[in-house]
Amino acid sequence: MLGRHGDNLFWMARYLERSENTARRIQAALHHALSREDEGQEEWTAIVVYDGLATVFDEKYGTPSTTNVINFLLRDRDNLNSVISLMSKARQNGRSVRTSLTQEVWLSLNESWIACEAALKRPVNIHDLPTILEGIIKGSSLFRGALYGTMLHNDIFNFICLGTYIERADNTIRTVDAKYHRLLPTAKVIGGSEDQSQWEVMLRSLAAWRSFNWLKKGRLDPLGVSDFLIFDERMPRSINFCYKEMSSNLEELSNSYGRDYKSLDMAREICLDLNHARSQIIKKINLRDFINEHIVKNNQLSLTIASDFNFN
Amino acid sequence: MFDEMLSSQSEDGREPYKKLLAWLNSQDLKKLSTKSATAEELFRRVGITFNVYGDKEAEERLIPFDLIPRILSADEWRGLERGIIQRVAAINAFLNDIYNGQEIIKAGIIPADLIYKNKAFLPQMCGFTPPGGVYTHIVGVDIVRTGPNDFFVLEDNARVPSGVSYMLENRSTMQHMFPELFTTHQIKPISGYPKELFKSLSSCAKTNTSDPNIVVLTPGIFNSAYYEHSFLADEMGVELVQGSDLEICDGRVMIRTTAGTETVDVIYRRVDDEFLDPLSFNPNSLLGTPGLFDAYRNGSVILANAPGTGIADDKAIYSYVPEIIRFYTGERALLNNIPTWRCAEADNLSYVLDHLNELVVKEVHGSGGYGMLVGPAASKRELAAFARKLRANPGKYVAQPTLALSTVPILTKSGLAPRHVDLRPFVLVSPDSIKVTPGGLTRVALKKGSLVVNSSQGGGTKDTWVLGS
Repeated sequence: MLGRHGDNLFWMARYLERSENTARRIQAALHHALSREDEGQEEWTAIVVYDGLATVFDEKYGTPSTTNVINFLLRDRDNLNSVISLMSKARQNGRSVRTSLTQEVWLSLNESWIACEAALKRPVNIHDLPTILEGIIKGSSLFRGALYGTMLHNDIFNFICLGTYIERADNTIRTVDAKYHRLLPTAKVIGGSEDQSQWEVMLRSLAAWRSFNWLKKGRLDPLGVSDFLIFDERMPRSINFCYKEMSSNLEELSNSYGRDYKSLDMAREICLDLNHARSQIIKKINLRDFINEHIVKNNQLSLTIASDFNFN
Repeated sequence: MFDEMLSSQSEDGREPYKKLLAWLNSQDLKKLSTKSATAEELFRRVGITFNVYGDKEAEERLIPFDLIPRILSADEWRGLERGIIQRVAAINAFLNDIYNGQEIIKAGIIPADLIYKNKAFLPQMCGFTPPGGVYTHIVGVDIVRTGPNDFFVLEDNARVPSGVSYMLENRSTMQHMFPELFTTHQIKPISGYPKELFKSLSSCAKTNTSDPNIVVLTPGIFNSAYYEHSFLADEMGVELVQGSDLEICDGRVMIRTTAGTETVDVIYRRVDDEFLDPLSFNPNSLLGTPGLFDAYRNGSVILANAPGTGIADDKAIYSYVPEIIRFYTGERALLNNIPTWRCAEADNLSYVLDHLNELVVKEVHGSGGYGMLVGPAASKRELAAFARKLRANPGKYVAQPTLALSTVPILTKSGLAPRHVDLRPFVLVSPDSIKVTPGGLTRVALKKGSLVVNSSQGGGTKDTWVLGS
């Protein structure tokens, strides 16, 4: 496979995963806003801050009204991380590697793009928002289904998985980071209804609300949530899960190409670190340092993959 | 006006169309129209689109597809096929001669200036014969028709002809929508084209290696024919590369892969000559690979088509093809040329200027229907403006009479309506054979009365059937 095609596959998957995550984050904020007496304004503002897009947003819109935020995150082409920008880039990468994708995988991507472009043609009002978000998330699920069901599990598949899990790990770390910045100072007084709904937003935006409740019978405590989102190997969006997947994909690449890779060593090391950290975190070691360190490590791993496999 | 379906004594239509016409008469045309929309939807989902340059809004467009097939009888096709093979063989002999002995110039048949002053002539190719002696591995010969037995060659596309993916997709769309038609008609299959292309390209590389590594070279996803490039790579099961994926190492062409580097033996390039290699051609090209042409001349890689084939298909050379055929094969041309006035010649120019409103005037190096004048359809002001351009630069133009092109019905909202068509059969040349895929791409002018069939100018396409005998 061409190095450039490896890069296209990797980024197609990253952008698609990122657009799904954005949709989930909006979905969680919407749920939050609708379940309150006030408009839940704070939560809308928080998403913009999360994406590090506050400056871009302020310059263009000023007031963070619900409609402004929704349209900025979904359909503003000046926002490189809006769903429309991300889907467009995902499709463009996919189109560059059509020859590496099965017809079903390509169709699912192209159809999502067509649907997305049509749905976001005009400004979105809150009435249509639930359907649009569902559509975006469903498109991503269909893609994954076609991927697992029709593609050879070879290097092409490995690069797509690597892109997906790098992006997902990044998203989970950042989500935890954003919430803990706001929540940790008050963690001692957990139990208030404000806290309760904040934890819920975080879990919902990572599609983990239901499963967390199954496991913990609804007992929300900060360490329980962080343990779940960072370490639980059964949870498909936990950081630990993502790194296990990355290690195994890199291992398969290493086997099929018959070489050792720096990125494989890195992924393995992060897995070991995580297991070590789990025991420390439970002893209430500083979570914030841990998080910051992992945002950096994740980025380094992404760059190392690119150089190991001649993405350029 | 000759209609290929209906111009017949009998109400049942011309012979090859009889069964189809009976079937059409039994159909509800409204329902068929909805099928049209289904077909478009299918094309859009699959992404069978082309890009239009300079048209930012509609970056990707669909080529309109018409449901009514165009049908050729076995006999009609046999005649065309023989004529095409003869023509393509002569074109290859001509290219070999132009870049080696130049006997045809010495014999006084082609003026030397027409070659040496031609932009499409590549002096870099002189004294070099491509492996297997094949210059034009893939050719698309455009043919028009004016009557039951009157076929004319409109032009020979010997550089990088496109459209074959539409030929194949049109067929599979028709099979998907109207399987019953394929059980009641004996239609020559075309789906083997990508495998034939692979075999044909491999056979040219035989001398180099037994299991050649073939790649398709594309300018990238913004090229108008990108869909076709990816389609062909996909169907052949080979890599689709861009110039930047290739590098030259010890005189060999390599691709950078995720597992290291690999040697390339054959490049089916869909990049024009001048962009292939910035060291040998256009130094500003970002699409090409530095050193590619040297590797080619060393014989370490095959380029299909060979650089410099444009000298055989520009519109000024076109007018000499009957003489070219006679010179190299000793035979009379089986397929007619359209009479062509070369405006570079003074008496031709004055005739053209006097009859501008009857003629079609084309740029010698033009393609895609850009920059041409259709005299009968032009306003006085347009004619005057074009006359000025002609006088200023006569060598740039040739003129031809406007032919009464045949029509084939298309499906419109108000039923069937005749529209003008042309035909581009695709030809594969290997060292020991020349093969023509039965049929080809039928392009159809969707506007009533229009003669311009190019997709860049709003033309559509039809599935094209060659019936078994």
